[in-house]
Amino acid sequence: MEQTSPKKDLSFFNPRGATMRSEVRVIKLILSGWLIAIVGFQVFAYLLESSYSELLLTDLIFINLPIQFWLSGQLLPLWFIILCVLFNVWMDRHSEQSHEESLRFRIKPIDGEDE
Amino acid sequence: MPDGVIHLIPLAIVVGMFALFMFSGLRNRSRQATDYRLRGTYTGRIGIGAGIASNWMSAASFLGLAGVFYLKGYFAMAYVVGWTGGYVLLLVLMATQIRRFGKFTAPDFVGFRYESGTARTLAALISIIITLVYCVAQFRGIALLVSWLFGIDYIPAVVVGTSLLVSYVVISGAMGATRNQKLQYFVLIITFILPLMMLTRKLGYFWILPQFGYGAAIGELQQQFGFNWSEPFADTTLYQWLALCFTLMFGTAGLPHVLSRFYMVPNIRDARWGVVWGLFFIALIYWSAPAYGVLARLFEARNGLALAAGSSDAADRIVLTAASLGGLPVWAVGLLVAGGMSAAFSTSAGLLMAGSASFSFDIYPRLIRPNASESDKVFAAKGFFLIMALAVMVLAFRPWGLIAEIAAFAFAIAGNTIFPVFLLGIWWPRANATGVICGMLTGLAISFAPLFIGESVPILSQLFPLTSSACIGAPVVMFVIIVMSLFTAPPSAAIRHFVNRNVHDCSES
Repeated sequence: MEQTSPKKDLSFFNPRGATMRSEVRVIKLILSGWLIAIVGFQVFAYLLESSYSELLLTDLIFINLPIQFWLSGQLLPLWFIILCVLFNVWMDRHSEQSHEESLRFRIKPIDGEDE
Repeated sequence: MPDGVIHLIPLAIVVGMFALFMFSGLRNRSRQATDYRLRGTYTGRIGIGAGIASNWMSAASFLGLAGVFYLKGYFAMAYVVGWTGGYVLLLVLMATQIRRFGKFTAPDFVGFRYESGTARTLAALISIIITLVYCVAQFRGIALLVSWLFGIDYIPAVVVGTSLLVSYVVISGAMGATRNQKLQYFVLIITFILPLMMLTRKLGYFWILPQFGYGAAIGELQQQFGFNWSEPFADTTLYQWLALCFTLMFGTAGLPHVLSRFYMVPNIRDARWGVVWGLFFIALIYWSAPAYGVLARLFEARNGLALAAGSSDAADRIVLTAASLGGLPVWAVGLLVAGGMSAAFSTSAGLLMAGSASFSFDIYPRLIRPNASESDKVFAAKGFFLIMALAVMVLAFRPWGLIAEIAAFAFAIAGNTIFPVFLLGIWWPRANATGVICGMLTGLAISFAPLFIGESVPILSQLFPLTSSACIGAPVVMFVIIVMSLFTAPPSAAIRHFVNRNVHDCSES
């Protein structure tokens, strides 16, 4: 059925249907992990520097690198890859389940999507 | 300073590499059907990822990043985090949904979603502006490499580099050679990492993984030469770091040529996994790039050379300097030059062709010649390609920053304009044409304000730094779009229905 009232429109903060709600929930989790890691690591490095100056940061070496270089330069890109893998695994499982449900109960035809 | 000497061996490596790409492109043309049979397989996804990474790698990644590290130390980590973290945004918020619109370019998407020719034309103009700015960074990289290869000054090198680029596009176009992105990525990664492994091996560091091995150089610089790497925010503020980082991330999710990648893969699941592989391949370069900046500093310190502070040319050429001062054989330096040329050429050629296509299909028939035939449009595209190449060449004569900084400005424009328009277009059906037109104009104003009135209104430069304006700019633009959309008529029921039902899966499973 065609929707005509803008009040019935979905949005990121107002997802409609169980499928979209669960997808948005996962997106929010992934984005929380993304944001906390980026801001958290920098605040951590900033606080270390402002509280202990270079004394501590010089001594904090991890896998051959100063801790702030390792956290931002090595771990964060790796963390982004892990987040993307987690999202894709969830999306794959979710789309397989949806596909099975739609085949079993003929909930709604899948048009325009080739997943 | 140019030494007036032509470096023949590196030149031969560069020529050989482009000949390889051309030959492979000609073979690739006749194997398109085979490529399609790979879809859905493990190899196919790695190939898609290599294509994404190859499309992404430019002079900014290959040359610029090491230059910023050399000059600004830890601050440059904002580039590493920004240029990788943006792919998370792209994947979770846009990659799946954007394909369901079935539109191939940013103006196509805007025109369809917002049902407005004006919004579409504005999006095309913005895409061209982004292309021009991004290409200035690439032309600067090409010119610095040409300057080193032929031993000539920077300005003549810009002209020679532009001529070479235009010739490359014309010849490969005339021969019908398609770009083999997988091959190109693997050439890029080898030309970048092999010399780095050789450098760290010569220094006696952990050379098998030079991405970690260069840490010993940081220690040596601190202990023996007093370089202070241990205070990450000594010369910058936390806000400046985060503003740059988030600007680059928003820009990554808003760059037209990055967004278009998702339409080129037949299967959405492969497109998503291709992003993961692409991010891994991109990270391989970014894990390594800081090492060149740090090692160059170490070699200079050991040789008693002063830091080339203020010399942006020297900083942007620091990858070559590190290899030369490190005593690598000339063929290894040639590999770096060939990789840098390849990255800058492919990015520039792709962007300029996309920009000229955007002009000929979105602007020329709408604003200049409404009754243009298909052949007129093709002619317009070719003419506009040359005009853009010349415009970028002139802008590259006097660049306003380091390669990475110029590229960051392009990301800031994309983050302030295209990113909010796509994000709200996908996730908020109520967003309408009036809202996005006002939003895109606001985004342009925010992006260019520090350039034109930053000196007379200093607060603007502090809030919206030229390279970092989208951190606050993108939320401001979204606010403008939301407010203007709510105060004006909603989009048609058809497009809202399309977003509600076709773009998002609202079934009660």
